[in-house]
Amino acid sequence: MSVIYELTPAIVLLPLASFALALFFGAWLPRRGAVVGSLATAGTLGLSLATLAWLLLTGEPHNQTWYTLVDADATFDLTFGILIDQLSAAMLVIVSLIAFLVHVFSLGYMNDEGEPGLPRYYAGLGLFTASMLAFVIADNLLMAFIFFELVGLCSYLLIGHWFTEDAPPSAAKKAFLVTRFGDYFFLVGVVGVLVTFGTAGFAGSEGFPVLAEEAIAAGETFFGFGAETWFSVLGLLVLGGALGKSAQFPFHTWLPDAMEGPTPVSALIHAATMVAAGVYLVARMYGFYALLPTVLAIIAFVGGFTALFAATMAVVKDEIKQVLAYSTISQYGYMMLALGAGSYVAAFFHLTTHAVFKALLFLGAGSVIIAMHHDEDMWKMGGLKDEMPVTYVTFLFGSLALAGIFPFSGFWSKDEVLFETLIHALGGSPLLFGAYAMALAAVFLTGFYTIRMVLLTFHGEPRSDTAEDPHGVRWNVKFPLSVLGVLAVIAGGINLVPVEKLSGGSLHVAFLEGYLERDVGLLTHGEHYSELLHDHAGYTSAYVGSEVTTLLLGAGLSLGLALLGAGSAYGLYRGAVPTRHTEKLGGLRTLLMHNYYQDEYQVWLAEGFTVRLSSAADTFDQGVIDGAVNATSSVSLSAGSRLRRIQTGIVTNYAALILLSLLALLVVFAILGGWL
Amino acid sequence: MIAGGLALAPAGAFVLAALALFVIDAFSPGKTSGGVLAGVSAFGAVGALAASGVFLLSGAASGGIELFGGQLVVDGMSLLFTFIFGSVTALVAVASFDYVREMPHRAEYYMLILLAATGMSLMASANSLAVAFVSLELASLPSYALVAYLKGNRGSVEGGLKYFLIGALSSAILVYGISLVYASTGSLLLSDVADAAGEAAATYPGVFGTGVLMIIGGLAFKTASVPFHFWAPDAYEGAPAPVSAFLSSASKAAGFVLAFRILLVGFPIQSVVGAIDWVLVFQILAVLTMTIGNFAAATQERVKRMLAYSSIGHAGYVLIGLAALTGVGGASAGATVLGASMLHLLVYGFMNTGAFLFVALVEHWEIGRTFEDYNGLARQAPLACVAMTVFMFSLAGLPVGGGFVSKYYLFAGAVGAGVWWLALVGAINSALSLYYYSRVVKAMWIEEPIEGRTIAHYPTALYAAVLTAAVVTVFLLPGLVVFDGAAFDAAAALL
Amino acid sequence: MVLETVPVEYYMVLSAAVFCAGLFGVLTRRNALLFLMSVELLLNAANINLVVFAFYWGEITGQVFALFVIAIAAAEVAIGIGIILVLQRNFGDVDVTDATTLRW
Repeated sequence: MSVIYELTPAIVLLPLASFALALFFGAWLPRRGAVVGSLATAGTLGLSLATLAWLLLTGEPHNQTWYTLVDADATFDLTFGILIDQLSAAMLVIVSLIAFLVHVFSLGYMNDEGEPGLPRYYAGLGLFTASMLAFVIADNLLMAFIFFELVGLCSYLLIGHWFTEDAPPSAAKKAFLVTRFGDYFFLVGVVGVLVTFGTAGFAGSEGFPVLAEEAIAAGETFFGFGAETWFSVLGLLVLGGALGKSAQFPFHTWLPDAMEGPTPVSALIHAATMVAAGVYLVARMYGFYALLPTVLAIIAFVGGFTALFAATMAVVKDEIKQVLAYSTISQYGYMMLALGAGSYVAAFFHLTTHAVFKALLFLGAGSVIIAMHHDEDMWKMGGLKDEMPVTYVTFLFGSLALAGIFPFSGFWSKDEVLFETLIHALGGSPLLFGAYAMALAAVFLTGFYTIRMVLLTFHGEPRSDTAEDPHGVRWNVKFPLSVLGVLAVIAGGINLVPVEKLSGGSLHVAFLEGYLERDVGLLTHGEHYSELLHDHAGYTSAYVGSEVTTLLLGAGLSLGLALLGAGSAYGLYRGAVPTRHTEKLGGLRTLLMHNYYQDEYQVWLAEGFTVRLSSAADTFDQGVIDGAVNATSSVSLSAGSRLRRIQTGIVTNYAALILLSLLALLVVFAILGGWL
Repeated sequence: MIAGGLALAPAGAFVLAALALFVIDAFSPGKTSGGVLAGVSAFGAVGALAASGVFLLSGAASGGIELFGGQLVVDGMSLLFTFIFGSVTALVAVASFDYVREMPHRAEYYMLILLAATGMSLMASANSLAVAFVSLELASLPSYALVAYLKGNRGSVEGGLKYFLIGALSSAILVYGISLVYASTGSLLLSDVADAAGEAAATYPGVFGTGVLMIIGGLAFKTASVPFHFWAPDAYEGAPAPVSAFLSSASKAAGFVLAFRILLVGFPIQSVVGAIDWVLVFQILAVLTMTIGNFAAATQERVKRMLAYSSIGHAGYVLIGLAALTGVGGASAGATVLGASMLHLLVYGFMNTGAFLFVALVEHWEIGRTFEDYNGLARQAPLACVAMTVFMFSLAGLPVGGGFVSKYYLFAGAVGAGVWWLALVGAINSALSLYYYSRVVKAMWIEEPIEGRTIAHYPTALYAAVLTAAVVTVFLLPGLVVFDGAAFDAAAALL
Repeated sequence: MVLETVPVEYYMVLSAAVFCAGLFGVLTRRNALLFLMSVELLLNAANINLVVFAFYWGEITGQVFALFVIAIAAAEVAIGIGIILVLQRNFGDVDVTDATTLRW
């Protein structure tokens, strides 16, 4: 074992140490724990980069049990172990990078603003980071579950940071309960996997995905079910946890409320930890899901539907963080779609670029919120671009990436998701067309709400006193923004599949694809997954005309829709204070004026149709889904309060009830036992 | 192997400590210092704990040592449970130092606790129906008096009365059941009963089946399983909180160990299934107990009563150990789920005792009993509230304490034994339980503190007991590995 | 010997009748002392069974156990009387249905 892998536990232990230090000695630490936290996450980032580099150079993975929790000879052991393969190594870098930048940003957002409870805050961030990192390197499903739960617990603590106000504690509770609801399915799934396979390991020929593959090939049956049926049940149970954490329909309701937490925490939750955990989990055990076409179809549909559903709601939100929250749900929908549609690489690619640009957008929003003295309403902003140029430029880059505009990072990854879905749909899985159509419609909406957000926040005249004289931000805000801003532009460069294809394969620029598909002997590489998808789920590729034609067609379609959405938003919201806009963009304005019909059409589309659809979706969300959740709990509670009335307090009644129950049992068993 | 008499050392430690208190208090009755009383009790309990722990982990009694012509048996299960009784008794004895500091009859209080603990450790070793009944009464009679210990407090007296009356009724049902089993099998020794059970079940199914069912009823009283639980919420709420801790953790575990022994050794399911399918009885009891315990707990206003109902809910989880012995999945599946029940009782001994001792702490401060009275307590007593948070989350089955691992094993074992629906009911109930456990956490940490509440002092012994319980609960998350081998072996030996 | 002439079933019916009388008392008597006496009836019903079947099986285990039950019943009464005494002091009566402050 190489030195680097002996150091792997330190990746988790460093933030854990910062948690312990901040918790116990936070009040005496420099900047209340911020410095220790930043140093620890910087160390983690360094180690993660070294691990990634080592894996890239040597191709030597790591898969080893580290600690045995319960050693049962009769059934199965519960162990902790470390699995470093391409997926986890890359994820480590993403998580530690975002965590590091969030720590630095928090200096500006929390310390400089004089927020209370800082040691608690940094302790929470440390534990949050540590749990997520431990989840990422988990070598088996049970360990993953434990840290998955811890991630949920930390988010509860952090979202409820300002617990003296009304909204944050209830938002924290909601986040916790909704994700826990999914996690109970997950737990049952974990138990099922252990019982079925006797192991919950992810990787290698002893891992459960490979055992599942062999069981299906051998035509085994479990508990009276065929192997594939039983595995689909297990897969769906685990998926419950993933959908809860990744805020997929119908478990998405907690995420917008989670905005009540401090903004850097939102950045961490959305970009790299909590929400990413769900998608990561599915990717982690993709070898298992690739065997199950039904589950894949469900994942794809839930993903596509969530992408569209969340995007429609983002269109009508007034608070900057609310828009971002719905956009997160929507973007994770794309990742789920990619996984369901059989494009593992595209899903991880989108996860990567999204982590960068969403962290950027949240930190940018945080910067705006600092400037606005913690007012989040976009209608009170406006005109901030001149006051805060760094924030504006970086935020704009992030927005263009989110909207999927060429050549920003989001374009490349979203395009690959759509392209892969399309070719698999063409190749004999026509069901995927539905998911593809929904995802495509969401592209339009994404462009629309993103540009609307940028225009309302930064453009036009200031619409309030604070917007006229915003609060300045320091280096500790600008530095993370700049790093992420640059990455948001160039991160697409890690996987320029279209360029490689257009060049006819002569330019090898699909780096991520090559990296993930390389076989390092753990059976967790992309090529293996492609074979499984082909053999078990029947995913094959087909094209309209040639591959290049399909590629250009798909890319053109999604880019066109994104631009159309952006343009519509521009058309509608440019008019906050017309003089400045019209003077600057006279030519375009004239063009739009002359395309009056088009403008009307957009108004209709945006206000007559989209807004209504969005309000309907919002009503559905508030009324039906929240209602169902509330109804379940109130039914339980009222059943409980009726139930407890049998406890009358009169001891003679107790005696009577006990004797009656005994009598009832006697009668039932007398009949069953045949003594009567 | 250890020599015969020495095998009873754990129970002996309880008896000796009780007798020592008797002698010590005889010198100046009622005036012995609380420190001496609590110290001797805790010493005896720790002695029992250490002796049983050493015997258990060294495997000295792995084959099972029979004493007094087979009336008592010391084996892995009895030692594991004596370990639980020892740890709970030690925690309760230490915590009681502050709780009963100002009260009369302190020596009697500690003696009753130790005698009840003696009864419980004999219950763990009982190998005949006669010993089972006598030791059960030895555990019960002091408990009745302990619940009613606060003689001037209406709640305590009422709790004691209800516990006593229902207890007397249940022990009468138990002994009548024993008499019917004796009538049909001609023996009280469990191994002889087992030998005759097949014939008895075939010849006199009515007498035998009624007898078994009445014995189950008597034991279900002791474990506070629905529908024999009615005394429990009232007794736990009325009793002094350390006594509630003692009863809901140790006494319940004692009921379970007796149930395991009697049913598995005395009435092997293969030979009695024709007359009475007790696995099905326990499936019914488990579902009822889990559901009613958790639903009732979710609607309580007072924390102690919520804990009382939650303790009923946990009895339901433990009942899965008997309810899942369907024979599906072979002996290893059975051993897993039964061992998981034992492990759950072990962890529960710490986390539930700790939670009730936290309530004792709050009662000591006299700041009220409802959830609202706990508002913002974390500002004034952060350390104790961290401990309580650990107990609550561990009880709910979150991976912050050993409760996660044991519950996980229970559900896994149930699925492995083919009764996945029991695991499902358990999981749904766990989800519900999180709601009411998190209410406590929310009240302590998130709600605004109550104006004008002052906490004058922080009682050292109570704090020590609460924090010890919390540390052990957390430690048992990775540390349950120390005990799991012993528990699974003990379970396998019974099957 | 009487037992040899009276079939064992008769004793079982007797014991069941005593048991039912005890149950009736438990369910209807509000006076704590009468409740306690009814419980004694329940225990004695069991004792009848134990003694009879000791004869029936030709051994003495049942009889010895019956002695244990009697002794324990005495101990139970001792505790019970104590609790009933404090009940009388706190609630002013020995009616078991008076104490209902703890419920739901």
